[in-house]
Amino acid sequence: MNHEAYETFSKAAGVFVTVGLFSVLYKENKFYRFCEHLFLGLAAGWALVAIWTETLASTWYDKMMGTVDEAGKGTSPAMWLYAILLPVGFMSYMVFNKKHNWMSRIPLGIILGIWSGQQIQSYFDTYGPQVRAGMKPIFPSTGQLIVPTSGMDPAVIGGNVFISQAISNFLFMFTLVSVLSYFLFSFDVKSKAILKMNTIGRYLLMIGFGAIFGTTVMMRFTLVIDRMYFIWIEFFQHTLLRR
Amino acid sequence: MKTKGIPKYIVYLLLVICASIPLFFTIPVPGKPFDSSADTFKTLMALQPGDTVLLASDWTGSTRGESKAQMISVMRLLMRKQVKFALWSTADPQSPRCAQDTISEVNEMIKKEGGKPYVRWDDWVQCGFYPSSDVAINNVATDVRKAFGGKRDTDTAGKLRPVFESPVLEKIQKIEDFKLVIDMTASKTSDYHVQFISGKKVPLLFSVTGVMVPETNVYYNSGQIVGYLGGLKGVFDMEKMMEYGLNVPDKDGKIQVASEKVPDKIEGFPGKDNIGNGTKYYPTLHSALLLMIVLVVIGNVEMFKANKAAKKS
Amino acid sequence: MVFLLSKAPTQARKPIVWILTFVSGGVFVLFKYWPQPINFDKAKNLPNGPIESVGSLLNDLTSVFGTISQVLTAFMLGLGIFSILRIHGTRIAKQQKDWFFSVVLLVTMFSMVVFGYWDFHIRAANRTIDYDNAANWGFVNMGRDFLFEGLLQQMDAAMFSIIAFFILSAAYRAFRARSVEATIMLGTALLVIISLMGAVASGWDSAVDRIATGSNHDLLVNLKISEIANWITKTLQTPAITGIKFGIGLGTLSMALRIWLGLERGGK
Repeated sequence: MNHEAYETFSKAAGVFVTVGLFSVLYKENKFYRFCEHLFLGLAAGWALVAIWTETLASTWYDKMMGTVDEAGKGTSPAMWLYAILLPVGFMSYMVFNKKHNWMSRIPLGIILGIWSGQQIQSYFDTYGPQVRAGMKPIFPSTGQLIVPTSGMDPAVIGGNVFISQAISNFLFMFTLVSVLSYFLFSFDVKSKAILKMNTIGRYLLMIGFGAIFGTTVMMRFTLVIDRMYFIWIEFFQHTLLRR
Repeated sequence: MKTKGIPKYIVYLLLVICASIPLFFTIPVPGKPFDSSADTFKTLMALQPGDTVLLASDWTGSTRGESKAQMISVMRLLMRKQVKFALWSTADPQSPRCAQDTISEVNEMIKKEGGKPYVRWDDWVQCGFYPSSDVAINNVATDVRKAFGGKRDTDTAGKLRPVFESPVLEKIQKIEDFKLVIDMTASKTSDYHVQFISGKKVPLLFSVTGVMVPETNVYYNSGQIVGYLGGLKGVFDMEKMMEYGLNVPDKDGKIQVASEKVPDKIEGFPGKDNIGNGTKYYPTLHSALLLMIVLVVIGNVEMFKANKAAKKS
Repeated sequence: MVFLLSKAPTQARKPIVWILTFVSGGVFVLFKYWPQPINFDKAKNLPNGPIESVGSLLNDLTSVFGTISQVLTAFMLGLGIFSILRIHGTRIAKQQKDWFFSVVLLVTMFSMVVFGYWDFHIRAANRTIDYDNAANWGFVNMGRDFLFEGLLQQMDAAMFSIIAFFILSAAYRAFRARSVEATIMLGTALLVIISLMGAVASGWDSAVDRIATGSNHDLLVNLKISEIANWITKTLQTPAITGIKFGIGLGTLSMALRIWLGLERGGK
């Protein structure tokens, strides 16, 4: 098969399965189920390929066996201790064994231990700069309300806190504190001030969720547009009509 | 149970129509770049020929509408500026293949415009796939030579050699030796980059999907990343800045793409093919978003009418 | 090793798992708080003194544990595949309802494995040939590309795009100004959506530019949709999301501490 014929065939198959998956929008049907299982099979198959070719071959096997160059000269020594990972890795499959399924927690425990250690290790590096960025001046240094767009030296503008900026900074800090309060005081609290703060925190959270909704819509619609572009432009126009 | 109002099949059909018809037309759309996109462009354009960047590609076909377009625009820029890159992936086993296929596609584009195509080993190397993202990124941040130590790639003579012998990585001793770290992602790997790499003395840049924009803004606001491309708007901004430059006046003296956040005058790549899926999809996104607004407004009007009728009765 | 562990008494199981969890996490915690080697002996490239030696050892250990984590995670990915094989194998063997679809799944999975490894083997055996160039492809390379790019990637994209239809339909039916919270969310979402529409935002901003003249210019330019959206993003949305992330971060940290110190319940 020449490459051009292959491209046409491949794109036609892509359109076929795309339409198959979209058919679920009408209702659950056999065509959709066929494509769904095709998708799962291919994804699982590729995972099996990539696990070895991209990860285990170089990260484990090569380290364990050592490597040699084309002339047969050793380039890295064999570290046989890595062989231990084979039985430890296979212990996770013990989950299906009624008597020894506790062993499956050994590899899981190691992975979770590493994850936990890293979270403790990186907590302050992650949130420290965000806390610092949240500490903004909330008192104005000038009586001027708005930052002028012209007629003032940028250095003077940058060195001052205008009233509008101070208000914005206050709102920033208030939002952060009230949203945190909503999270931290989620148990039964008696203080009216905290209850009020939590209510405002809930309202302000909705601004965050609204923004997330807006950008999520952009993302999902882009994915639909991409599919339509594939069907109408890449396949029909460019491949079939050769335009 | 039947629901009142517009039937769902009509809603679906309307989306198909709105997401299809504008694709057949070339519609120029004006627009100011987001601050984050302008900062991304500035950071990438500051790279010099021969610089090396560490590029994590953590997206797959599921978000190709956004992620592939982002990768193509960034790749075009890197290749035109002759910046070398070390590619690696975490999280999804499909990611490395998706990235390599995209690099091949961009290489063909660069060949077509008369540029020098990128050669694996000399200009870029593949540093592999790591299923455990957090640990891999932590290891790279701690000691990149140990993290990629076992990786080998094919040199130009067809021999398999350690990646650190390649012209791309031979001078790299630690993460700070990269001029830039980029994560093109559709998953949590951006969080891990912030966790482990943002504290290092190397600029960090993201290219994320639309849904990740609000949380990525937090990192941008705190200065943990120097910029990011967010969703389709990010790609559109990038393609426009590559076409017209940033704050660069055209022959009529009009500035096509302006940014107050980045006041520097940065030339793009005029005369080259800068148009990609960002520019192609963006007008269509307008019609789809407009449909969303119209339907939400109709839904609310229906609710108010129903409430009014209920009160009367 | 597996044999020895299988003989472990019931009461020893939990401590064994916890010790491994504690040690593997402890390496990372200790590495963070241990003084980093800064004074390497340049001639020998070795650390000076016991403190630096331990720091250097911990650095090496984080890399070793990194490899361990990658390998074990890879084995766990295989566990998912094993589960698929078990479930669908049983369904075929017992000819349960829709067993034909299980055949489709296993056949395509097997095909991908065969073509994937065959393609990998061909590339590894002929390293002088540039297989990134499609002109050099043979039947096997095309087969792999067809399964991966022609089918899998297209279906992956289609599967994820379907949600857009449901979001649109749900937004029409449920995204309504029923309460204060819903109204705030609706208003912000619409504003963000409009700001993402460059043509609309540009038209709005140009209109503001036309009316923003004279002494009120500096005040009125703030009514540009790009300015309003930017202000909401920077002043309200970013701290709100930061607050959410702080909350998640605190939860994650407490969970991490519980797991590391073995305080999490369950597991015998």
